[in-house]
Amino acid sequence: MTAAASSDADLITAHAAGDPHAFSELVRRHRDRMWAVALRTLRDPEEAADALQEAFISAFRAAASFRAESQVTTWLHRIVVNACLDRMRRRQTRPTVPLPEAGPGEPVAPRDAMAERETRLVVQAALNELPEEQRAPIVLVDVEGYSVAETAQLLGIAEGTVKSRCARGRAKLAKVLGHLRNQSADANVPVNDVQVQQGRQLEER
Amino acid sequence: MTGNARRSGPPWSVDLLADLHAGALDPRTEAELRPLVENDPEAREILAALDATLDDLHNLPPIPMPRHVAERIDAALAEEARPTAPVIDFAQAKARRAKRLGWGAGLLAAAAVAVGVAVVAIPRDNTAGDGGIAQQDTTTNTPVTGSAVPPGSADLPAVRGENFGPVFGDVLKAQNYGPLENQEQLADCLRGANITAGKPLGVSPITLDDKPAVMAILPAGTPGAYRIVVVDPQTCGPDNPEGVLANSTIEP
Repeated sequence: MTAAASSDADLITAHAAGDPHAFSELVRRHRDRMWAVALRTLRDPEEAADALQEAFISAFRAAASFRAESQVTTWLHRIVVNACLDRMRRRQTRPTVPLPEAGPGEPVAPRDAMAERETRLVVQAALNELPEEQRAPIVLVDVEGYSVAETAQLLGIAEGTVKSRCARGRAKLAKVLGHLRNQSADANVPVNDVQVQQGRQLEER
Repeated sequence: MTGNARRSGPPWSVDLLADLHAGALDPRTEAELRPLVENDPEAREILAALDATLDDLHNLPPIPMPRHVAERIDAALAEEARPTAPVIDFAQAKARRAKRLGWGAGLLAAAAVAVGVAVVAIPRDNTAGDGGIAQQDTTTNTPVTGSAVPPGSADLPAVRGENFGPVFGDVLKAQNYGPLENQEQLADCLRGANITAGKPLGVSPITLDDKPAVMAILPAGTPGAYRIVVVDPQTCGPDNPEGVLANSTIEP
């Protein structure tokens, strides 16, 4: 039942029927994407790991009563996103740990990849500076590729709210990232974005 | 959103154009704005900047889950999948056998449920015989005193005997070496019992039968298998096998 060909719904059914490996297989399928969501929204690897562990345990316990009103992936992702949002709400402000500069599988390419890697760092740093209410939908829609409808469902907000929060966040990012260099910076750009802009200017030299 | 239409035209509101770009405007406002925007170079430049921003976001690299996090979550799920597995820690069972007459079968069953994991004793090093975890089985309830008591030890996860189940999840989530301070010191302690260990999946100060100790959960070499070790931070070291108080595996 835990063969790769099984659908997510098959795995949930198998889990409910007592297959001890079915749920782990489900997690294995989705964990990278969920890890990226958790890490990019929480910005702290330890917190992201804690949130995912809690979320998966919670899902494990609830899975037997899962009803196919929504897709398994949506249901599972929502539990993960909620775990992250809960943590974001619980914490006030706390220092964050920089994200890894590159995925573990990325080759070390000393020259050509440097500029690209710096750009990614600058983008990630700018993303980190967004208010949480804007960062979460931007991570889901623009980085992870969820649809607006899926994101609305995951975050428990209206689709229009997802769109407008994404719009606000993108406008800020466009300025911070230097795409709107000729525009007067009239958005709520945080002070430390100056460093981000400087970083981008360095990279563009 | 129709109110934003009042700001249409140079100088453009970036937020208004971002709303347009995101499809966040109502259809009527959007219909009014589109021709104005398409005929205005400044507006088109702002939309191009928003497109470039989207490209930047789309191009952020995937972030695969690190192996140690994946292992930690696998371990937590494996433990969750075995809520009623029996205790089959042979060394411990042997040590307790004499006590069984005084205990009801129902109580033993309850203890097995509480453990929640199948624990299999691992032979210790060649010189330790079948001692397993027996060395820690000095069941005195000596109060922990002096510097041996870590601050806040009352809040530490508490283990009785081999009942690791209730603290397993907490330890798995922790990376706190407590009095051992770092991975190297833990590795030194485990070397005393001929256990070679890399970075633990989880490590935390605990109390073991009211004594301060440090518990670590290690990969056991096969998928779904994990090793639980407990050391006495006061005495453990590379030359002291007695410093390892417990050494068990959880097997799938």
